[in-house]
This record gives sequence, C-alpha cells and structure tokens, in this order.
Amino acid sequence: MSAEKKINDKLVKIVKDDITAMDVDAFVFYAAPDLQLGTGYGNAISVRGGPKIQDELRQFGTVETGTAVTTSGGSLKAKFVIHAVGPRFQEADTEGKLETVTQNALKEADAKGVESLAFPPMGSGFYGIPLDVSAKVMLAAIRDHLAGQTKLKEVLICARDTREMKPFQTVLETLS
Amino acid sequence: MEAMQRSYKAQKVIDRMAKKLNRQIAGSLAACVHCGMCTESCHYVLANPGDPTYAPAYKADRVRKIFKRHFDWTGRVIPWWVKADSVYTDEELEELKDIAFGKCTNCRRCSLNCPMGVDFAVVNRMTRGLLVHVGIMPKGVAVVSKDQWEIGNQMGVLKEDYLDTIQWMSEELVDTLGDPGAAIPIDKNGCAVMYTINPREVKYDPRTISDAAKIFYAAEESWTMPSEGWDMTNFGLFSGDDELGGAVARRVFEKAAEIRAKCVVMSECGHGYRSTRCEGQNWAGMDVQFEMESSVVTMLRYLRDGRIKVDRSKNTLPVTYHDSCNNARSCGMFEEPRELLGLVAADFREMYPNRAENYCCTGGGGAMSMSEYTPQRLKSAKVKADQLRATGAKVVVTSCHNCVDGLTDLIRHYKLDMKVTQLVNLVADALVVEKRVAVPVPKAVPVAALAGRTILVIDDEPDVRAFLTAVLEDNGAKVVTAADGDEGLALARKEKPDLVTLDISMPGKDGGKVFEAMRRDPDLRSIRVCVITGRPELRKLIYERPVPPPEGYLDKPVSEETLLTNVRKILEVAGDQKAH
Repeated sequence: MSAEKKINDKLVKIVKDDITAMDVDAFVFYAAPDLQLGTGYGNAISVRGGPKIQDELRQFGTVETGTAVTTSGGSLKAKFVIHAVGPRFQEADTEGKLETVTQNALKEADAKGVESLAFPPMGSGFYGIPLDVSAKVMLAAIRDHLAGQTKLKEVLICARDTREMKPFQTVLETLS
Repeated sequence: MEAMQRSYKAQKVIDRMAKKLNRQIAGSLAACVHCGMCTESCHYVLANPGDPTYAPAYKADRVRKIFKRHFDWTGRVIPWWVKADSVYTDEELEELKDIAFGKCTNCRRCSLNCPMGVDFAVVNRMTRGLLVHVGIMPKGVAVVSKDQWEIGNQMGVLKEDYLDTIQWMSEELVDTLGDPGAAIPIDKNGCAVMYTINPREVKYDPRTISDAAKIFYAAEESWTMPSEGWDMTNFGLFSGDDELGGAVARRVFEKAAEIRAKCVVMSECGHGYRSTRCEGQNWAGMDVQFEMESSVVTMLRYLRDGRIKVDRSKNTLPVTYHDSCNNARSCGMFEEPRELLGLVAADFREMYPNRAENYCCTGGGGAMSMSEYTPQRLKSAKVKADQLRATGAKVVVTSCHNCVDGLTDLIRHYKLDMKVTQLVNLVADALVVEKRVAVPVPKAVPVAALAGRTILVIDDEPDVRAFLTAVLEDNGAKVVTAADGDEGLALARKEKPDLVTLDISMPGKDGGKVFEAMRRDPDLRSIRVCVITGRPELRKLIYERPVPPPEGYLDKPVSEETLLTNVRKILEVAGDQKAH
C-alpha cells in the first residue's frame, strides 16, 4: 500500500515500513532537545546503529526546538540520521515549529548531498500532534522545498501502520 | 480567584477535559455523596489507615473540583457549597500526577463497592490521559508509551529479536517432541487461532511461549503467531491515552484480518485481555469479524473437548489463585481459571476474599514501570501479602503478566515462601503428549549449552556468586567473578567476556555506574549485560542512563532454569545484534 506524486520531477511517496531499518541515504528521527536517543525509535537506532551515533550527538549538547543536526548512520542501512527537534505535547505554535523543523531537516539533507530521505509522521503518536496536522504541514514544506534547487530525488513518508498512512495519502492526493 | 493567571498546560488540561467527559465520567464526578464506602475497599487506604489522602473519594475530589468549576452548573451557581475550584499551575498538575499514577492502581475495587455507582477508576484514567496529553507523566510511563507508539510493543522488542526468539523456541520444541510438525508457524493464512502475547514473554519469559506452543501442538490446533501486531498488551489502558489505545488495538485487528484468522487468542495478561477484547474496538473505532478469547478459555475448551489430556498429579504443590483486576473485576472471568486449575493441579486452596472482591497485586496494569512510587506500592501490598500467607499455598497462580511481576515483587519484599506461575505453565507441565508418527529429526550431538562462552559475574554477595558460577560452569561456560564494581570493570577489560551478569546494589561503584562505564568504553560497549538484582526499585539506575539498555534483566532470587534460559537467549538470540 503506497501513494506517490512527482513534484518538480522529484518523487514524494507514502510507504509503510520500519524507518530505522530502511535502505535510504538518510532518515529523520524526531528528537528531544537533549538529543538523547532514548526509547522508541531512539532505542532502535541505538541497537541497530551502535553507540557511535549517540557519541556523535554529544558535540551538539542541548539544542532548541526547530533545530536539525546530522550524524552518521553507524551500522544502520542509512548513511545519515537527521535528528530533528520538533514541538511536543501541545506546545504553543505547534504548526509553525513543525514547519520550521521540517524545513531544517530538508536543508540538512541537502547539505549532506542526500538523494533519498525518509521522514516519520513528524510529532504524531507519543508527542501528540494530530496526524492530519502533521500531514498538512509536512507535505507543504516538502513540496515547497522540492520546488526549488535541491539534490533530493526522493522523499518518503514512512508510516508505522495504515492508520498513519491514510491522512498522508489524503493530503498528498490533493497537494498542488 | 479567576484573576489568577493560569499556566499554558493547565488551560490545555481544562480544554481537553471538555472533550473527554462522557456520561460515565460525568456521572461518577457528579454522584459522589462522600459516604466513605470506597475507603474500606482500597488497599492503599487499608495499608495507610492514618492518611486520608489515599481515600478514593478524596482523590476523586482533586478532579471533581475542576469538573464542578468548569462543567457543572452547581459549580457556577454555588461554587463555595460544592467546593468547585480550578487548576492554575504546573505544580498543581504535578500533584495530580502523583495522585493519578502513584496513589491508585485503577483496580476498580472501590468502584464495585460504591452504592452510588461512582467508578473512580474511569475518572482516574481520564486524569492520567489529560496529564499525558500535556507531557506530564512519570518517566517510566513515557518510556513504555514511546516504545509502544514507535516500535509497536511495550518493551521496544525489535522485530528481528521477536522472530529470532520464536524461532529459537520453535527449534527447541521440535527437538524436545521429535516432530518437525511442532514448529511454531508465523503469518500462516486462514488459521483457527492467531496467538498474541505480551512482550515480557519474549524478553524475560520465553518459556510461556513454548509452553503455549506445546499445548497448541497437543490439541492439533490450526494456529499461527503474527510477525506484526503480536503485542496484545495496550499501555493506553494504563496511561489513559485513548489514541495509543486505538493505534495498538488496530495493529492487532488489522493483522488478524490480513491473515484471515478466525480467532485471536491472547496469552494470560489481564490488561491485554481487557484492552484488546473489551475496549480495543471502541478506541480503534472499528468492528472486527473474528472471535477473541483468553488462552485460559482456549486451554479449558481443549480439555473439555478432550483435545488435550493432562495428569494433574504432575502438579502436587499446594496452589492458590489470584484474580487479576482486569480479567476478573472488569471482565467477569472468575470461574474458567478455577475450573482449569482444578483439572491440572492436585491441591487447590482458595484465597479470601476472591473473584470480584479480590485485592490488587499492586502491579496495577503497568504500575511496575514507575520506580518512584515503589515504596508506597510495596507498603500497600501488605494487604495482598496477608491474603497470600493465609492460604498456606506454595504457589500462587495468576493469569496476568503484570500480576506475575507485582506478586513476585511483594513476595520477595514480605519474605513469603511462595513462587508465582501461570496456568499455561501448569497445563504444559501436566500435559500428556501422545507420540505421533513423525519424520525423525536428526539428533545433534549434545554440547554443553554455554560451551566456549566466557561470563563475568559481578555481585557482592558470595552466595549469589557461588550459585551463578556453579550453574554457568555446569553448562560449559568459563566463569570469572568480581565482588565489586571496580574489580568487575578491570576483569571486563582483561577477559573481554561474552556476557556480564551485573548486580545493581553493591558497595563502592554500584551496578549503574559500572553499566554506564561499560557502555561508554569503546572496548567494552559490545559486551552483553544481564542485570540480576534483588532490588527492582533500583532499575532506574540502569534504565534511566543515556546509554543503550542492557540485553537482559532478572529479579533475584533467580532459578537455575530462568538463569539458563535468559543467558542462552541473550547469547544466542541477541548475539547477532551486537556484531557492530
């Protein structure tokens, strides 16, 4: 089950997969300001990628919401992990901050020469951003980025299940 | 009072409450007459007779005042009369958190005994959900919630670890029964049964999986385990997060529909059973076309229908039965486990009070994840300990994984001479498996299970070191021992063992510091670690460190079988993960 659309000859695609096990140039991890990998996807990154990734994060210390930083992928299939610190738990100006962090993650990807990039449904699930909000803000930011100069050839939204896929498919279908 | 500035989060909580109030919650908030009937029902009150803040009515009043102030006409007209008040600060929300998570296990014993029909547990669960919505929750709740949201199960078990463990159990069963037909199927289409489990079974108790597989084999059941959607536990029930509840239930339901299973059978887990069978469809907003049942009912059905045979003389120790709150009080499953127990155990002794009136194990469907509340939880467990002691039983049986951990913890704390087990273990032990004509499985030459492995045992107790050393050496391992953290680290650097068993509470450098030092040392970080501790309240010293978690965890006292099973699992299954 997937949905896709070409924007400026670049592919945007909604897929159902395990993002930390994907064979892409880079994927985005929705990080906390202290950049500790922690549990959930963070634990999967630690276990599959090895301790090198957390070691590389130490140089950045604690960062502000909206920031995106890049580490290597360690032993992961992905070459890079982009750690993007987005809004959490209903904080003020959720949509504005989500847009900013999505843009910054895309810029980080371009800075590293990434051609294939995977995003999770940013901020949804544990951090409580509704899926339709996440889909609307993320896909608009991705569309705007791909319309300009970029090295990206493919941007994937990697959902955990069909519940997460559907809002992104709906927004992508009507994205102009 | 209204001139007071309200914090951002407090306002969000009030806004969210407006969306979460339903007739059941509003009725429970409006109907209390403060008669005090709930007080005598609560194990927290009984263990803390001088502290009125544990009374269910008092705890509910912390939420009731907000309801009255913002959502009930009496609070607008006569606020002083009905004690209506708002919530203003983040500190007040933190206090609410300590009540909602730390002073109630949502066991619903008070709900059952309220003459007005007030269900405090639904109020408390809503309160938890409101707090989680704004990010105010115990750290353990955050850890478990994030794992279940993102990895798909409560313990963050990765798919490859789950599948490797199932394969390992499958191979052992085929070897034991001498029949390739005993293998555990994965994602087999069109089966009568899709068997779902608790991730605790994969991580700490894989024997329950092989015991269940042995029973399905003996019953000649058409069954499978799913590769995804296998965790039937649902932390949304505990945390009050209905969105998580819906997401988790949907993953199980969609997998069952995908492989066209006729029935989803849930292993023995109280909150898994309640959340998947009773609440899941409401949270997920979907109907399902298959049956759902507890494995207790499945096993009893096999016995009633003559599909399996048992010899109850194989279970001779006196046993008693603890009713899980979610299975019994909330879902009405009282008689099936007792009937099953009577068929597989020779000496059953009833516990009093029992069934819907039984007391909580204090594990409370997830309360064990919050180490900051361990002292008050264990204090309240005295009620349960007295109940257990009075039975004179040597084994307490329960159909819930949270209860297994809660009871194990209190049995250790109150020094009861008992062990905890589940019905699946007793049924498997009593099972009479008839020999089938099978294609012979080539017999491997027996090799000591741990041959060629070096294991470092770090523990300050000489008796524990001696026991662990004897068991591990008897199974072929080379064992080196250290009596404290500094010696342990030095030996780890010198010996480069395959595995370290690590005590937490030790004089000098404790296990937490040793663990972090190992994980931060490039030469030691790939060594697998199994924490073995008699003080589970100190788990946070390990798990709250900003380094990858240990590969295993065991509570003392640890049996020979449990030790070997877990050590082998870590070395044989998790081993591939540590290649980097």
